[in-house]
Amino acid sequence: MILRAEKLSKRYFRRTGQANHFYAVREVCLELHPGEVTVLMGRSGSGKTTLLHMLSGLLRPDEGSVWLGDAELYRLDDGVLSRLRNARIGVVPQGRSAIDSLTVWENILLPGLLYNGNERRLEAERWMDALGIAALRDARPAELSGGELRRMAIARALTQNPEVLLADEPTGDLDDENTIRALSALRDAAHGEGKAVLLVSHEEEARRYADRIYRMDGGKLTAL
Amino acid sequence: MKASQLPIKNLMRRPGRTAAMILLSALLALSVFGGSVVVRSLQSGLNSLEARLGADIIVLPAEAESKVSFKNLLLQGTAGAYYMDASALDRVREVEGVEIAAPQTFLASLKADCCSIKVQVIGVDPESDYVVKPWIEQSYARELGDMDLVVGCLVTADVGEIMRVYDQRCHVVARLARTGTGLDTAVYCTMDTMKALLAAAEAKGVSHKITSDGRERISAIYVKVRDGYDVDAVNSKLNGHVRKATAVRTRSMITGVSDSLAGISRTIALLVGVVWVMALAILLVAFAMMIHERRREFAVLRLLGTSRRGLSRLILSETALCSLLGGLAGIAAAAAVVFPFTTLIESRLGLPYLTPHAGAVLALAAGTLAATLVIGALAGGWAAYRLSRTDPGTTLREGA
Amino acid sequence: MKEFSIPACVTLALALLIAVGSQTFLGPCVHDDGSFGACHWAGRMLMGVGALLAAQSLLALFARDHGRRAGLSLAMAPTALLGILTPGTIISLCGMATMRCRALMRPAMILLCVLALMAALTGWWIERRKAR
Repeated sequence: MILRAEKLSKRYFRRTGQANHFYAVREVCLELHPGEVTVLMGRSGSGKTTLLHMLSGLLRPDEGSVWLGDAELYRLDDGVLSRLRNARIGVVPQGRSAIDSLTVWENILLPGLLYNGNERRLEAERWMDALGIAALRDARPAELSGGELRRMAIARALTQNPEVLLADEPTGDLDDENTIRALSALRDAAHGEGKAVLLVSHEEEARRYADRIYRMDGGKLTAL
Repeated sequence: MKASQLPIKNLMRRPGRTAAMILLSALLALSVFGGSVVVRSLQSGLNSLEARLGADIIVLPAEAESKVSFKNLLLQGTAGAYYMDASALDRVREVEGVEIAAPQTFLASLKADCCSIKVQVIGVDPESDYVVKPWIEQSYARELGDMDLVVGCLVTADVGEIMRVYDQRCHVVARLARTGTGLDTAVYCTMDTMKALLAAAEAKGVSHKITSDGRERISAIYVKVRDGYDVDAVNSKLNGHVRKATAVRTRSMITGVSDSLAGISRTIALLVGVVWVMALAILLVAFAMMIHERRREFAVLRLLGTSRRGLSRLILSETALCSLLGGLAGIAAAAAVVFPFTTLIESRLGLPYLTPHAGAVLALAAGTLAATLVIGALAGGWAAYRLSRTDPGTTLREGA
Repeated sequence: MKEFSIPACVTLALALLIAVGSQTFLGPCVHDDGSFGACHWAGRMLMGVGALLAAQSLLALFARDHGRRAGLSLAMAPTALLGILTPGTIISLCGMATMRCRALMRPAMILLCVLALMAALTGWWIERRKAR
């Protein structure tokens, strides 16, 4: 076990019925293990993305805690947490996540450059090849399709070489061929390199790559 | 690529937005630097006027226009000619409390050789003069000889040239330092030279209201009051004792000037203030909009491991670069307008106007640049602060 | 080649301002008696400099290749320099610094010519790079 969530809860304000808030995530406990692909399924609005953001240290939970190894994420100072996220947690968010002023190649190298100036060129080339975007090296994000941007984000997270990889609907904009490419790459990262991978997806195809499957419904997590 | 290149890449990626930011900062710097140079020039002009007048009281002919004309000479360099009998000088010297009384005689030249407008020729008495002499001594160490002229700095006759005044050949022996007052357009000579010039003017049939009784004429008497005497008291004694003359306290003359100067300074300060507040407001809104538009990009940077502090540094680097370039451009633009047109500004304002020395100008430029950078940092810092209060997770959800 | 040359547009605008301004709102001294001094001829010369600069800018604007544009831009530099030297150096002006030709025409014309010089050199630099 490398990433552990204990009784995580997150409330959002919403004027519905008698209560003025609702639980997006309610008392969720989850463990991610090295070398395993964990798939989190569920309908939209079930709290998957909120959970993923809390696990990645991007969204402070209202209750509960997240542990990466011995470190409790939300007790860390912002500088330390950011550095830790840069070194150990890779995230593929939903939607566009490219820096427009950089080329595809520079976008992929960026996480490595933020602290120690380690460019990780070899890893970048390897994952770009695996995901079929090697030819887009010098393109600008504005020139890319949604699917290409998505694969760029996956390549960026993998190039970061993190211990934990959290991907939010990574195959959302992809065709069948590229869906298989992306999911294979993520599985290879888990099985081949011992990373703990969490895939948030509502696609059945993702099940085939999973070592563990959870379902979220109304903010609650159940193992399948 | 290095992570430190990111701010420059971001700025170059959106040239339109960057240019607008630079332009705003430039506008700010232009107004502040231009405005403060003008205000400082007016102040040093007033100081220079005080230094050049040097007298406590000035006695002028009683004619109504002589006082106005004298003021116009000081402020705009308008040539004038008005006279009183030289005996007034003796009467002035009789008054108790008068330490020194130095006469001057004015003559408005016709079109002199060098110029196509009238030049004010001012004759000074080398014996008693204490007003012009120290000024002349700055640029000419010897005594003025017959038919020697010392020219104000705005008269563009070169030293060594012959200048013709009423067909009399005069030698230009020195050029005076700039005062920023109307005196810069005058030329100076001794009383003896002045007599010759007056005679030549008479001979050419130019009436200077000088009677032909052969008596000496003078235009103004600069009075220095002895220590321990009340200037006002001496002034009223002079008004009572000297016939056909008016004694005016120089301070009252300068007060008028400093009043209008204060008025203009206030107006400029107000305008600069308005521009400053508007530019600050526009910059704040512009930066806030820029940050809002790019909030997803910043959230992604956070996701990749940039700390709040790192993100603030990125935003501040971008705003500082814009402010720096804009500040330099604005200062250059203001300098290109204010310095070459000094004489034009002086004559349009009709007030003493003396550009401060290079050190002071550099200090003003540095201050302006610092102020522009501070404004940029404030706007950028505020935007960065607001950004840091939102969890990146929330932003990523919103814009997905 | 349909690219628009911004520096050539800038020099054209400045050239027109020099040509028209030197005869109107930025012109030399006007005397009540209708006479005129040396500064009048400086104004005439500046009108010529402005017209020449405008012609060069137009040629650069309509030139088809970058090399020719670069050459024309470079040729504008000495023209602008001539404009800078005209008032007061090549042709003398009135003797009093407060007079219009010295207080207004000279600084304004020098400023416009310096800007034209900078725009011309910028144009030369840009076009030369494109030509390579």
